[in-house]
Amino acid sequence: MDEDHVLVVEGLNVTRGGAQVIRNASFVVNRNDYVGIVGPNGGGKTTLLLAILGMIPRESGTIKIFNQDIASFRQWQRLAYVPQDAVNFDPNFPITVRELISLGRVNRGNLGRPLKADDWEAVEDSIDFMGLREISDKRMGELSGGQKQRAFIAKALVRGPEILFLDEPIVGVDADTQEKFFQKMSNLNQKRNITILMVSHDLTAVFCRMSRVLCVNRDVYSSPITPTVDPNELLRKAYGEHFHFVYHRHECRGDFKDE
Amino acid sequence: MVTLACAWIGLFLILRKESMIVDGLAHTAFGGIAIGLFFSINPIIPALLISAVAVLAISYLRRKGIAQSDSAIAVMLAIGFSTGLIIISLAGGFNVELFSYLFGSILTINMGDLLTVSLLSVVTIVFLSLFYKELMCISFDERSSRLTGIPVEYLSVAFNLIVALTIVLSIKIIGIILVVALVVLPALTALQLRLSFRKTMLTTVFVGVVGLIMGLIISALYDIATSGVIVFTLVFIFAVSAVYSRL
Repeated sequence: MDEDHVLVVEGLNVTRGGAQVIRNASFVVNRNDYVGIVGPNGGGKTTLLLAILGMIPRESGTIKIFNQDIASFRQWQRLAYVPQDAVNFDPNFPITVRELISLGRVNRGNLGRPLKADDWEAVEDSIDFMGLREISDKRMGELSGGQKQRAFIAKALVRGPEILFLDEPIVGVDADTQEKFFQKMSNLNQKRNITILMVSHDLTAVFCRMSRVLCVNRDVYSSPITPTVDPNELLRKAYGEHFHFVYHRHECRGDFKDE
Repeated sequence: MVTLACAWIGLFLILRKESMIVDGLAHTAFGGIAIGLFFSINPIIPALLISAVAVLAISYLRRKGIAQSDSAIAVMLAIGFSTGLIIISLAGGFNVELFSYLFGSILTINMGDLLTVSLLSVVTIVFLSLFYKELMCISFDERSSRLTGIPVEYLSVAFNLIVALTIVLSIKIIGIILVVALVVLPALTALQLRLSFRKTMLTTVFVGVVGLIMGLIISALYDIATSGVIVFTLVFIFAVSAVYSRL
């Protein structure tokens, strides 16, 4: 097995509530890939992520992360995951942004022991990286939607993961915030060498910035994103024959690649 | 120490939206107490056993999707309490001692009980000081906590057992019917103030202890039912904080 294959999925079938949601999916994610997971609503994107992380049972197939089967996988500190519904927490829960992020440092290794100085250093780094400094002592319930999303990503990053799984991490925020977010993720991917798998509806961002796309609509098509790949040909496999995505490569702004 | 344990436990229960488990377990423990009195053994022991079984049954029913939290609690409450009633009728009616468990008897507690109750409260307090960051994690988002690698299932079971332990202990002090107040009110008071998690924990414990001591003093001064006065004191503090935080 190739050292660079951080995630290998083979013949994965997932059924939920009697219906087949993922059918015979096989694909490989390389170290330092930046993967966009796209497809219509209800097509199985979230299910695919949950199955990869072993949070829902699979019917058949193999899932290997760092060359270990997910069923026996224990190196959770190497992964981080931000669920789609992370922001739907109880707004009355008494927790500040800093405290939330510190929970990202909780793992099996420090079970029953308080966090150490280097944990708190990582928390402060993460606060700065996601631009949360001014609101770090605010309660989570008081934040705007976009701020909450950033706080959860900071919580994921504070673990220092090698693979970051994001399920529609930014929705309902303005274009400028979205643009900044995608720049940050590119930065993580390129400068900190974090492999990213992100469910996203922003097809332009996916094809402009990412290195690989997974089109999910029960079947899963994996393709690298290169100048010669026609996005429409790929996307029609997931969205249907009549799908047309207006995309011109020159619209990808120059600063996209090396912010 | 018991209030400290109760109040701290209460915070996590409220955050997990499980505060009614307290009432359920207290009533279930009633069955255990009746058994203990009937066979003339220390009622705390069968009460502890029965509540431990009940709390495990509640989490089992919920995990397997047989019943939701509230209905599972209702079932256990009914089983435990009816066990108590049957045994009482077999024994030929209520006696004074049973009353002391229903309504609490903090002022008549004997040395042996005091020692047991204090020691076991220490168990709760130690457990919470060791694992509060994990419990915070689980209370905030149980599903994502599994991905941190912490043993969510074991911790939940351990926490539930600790809850059962704490509740049975506080029955001796405040009585079955009012124990829920001792557990829920301090945390609810602290939550009104919209503080950080750390400060909420400290405030919860502080309110619990202050409420208990004030209640004791007032009830001794005016010679009125202790547990009733404690609850009223806690309700008063809660009301003040609720109004204050909205000013």
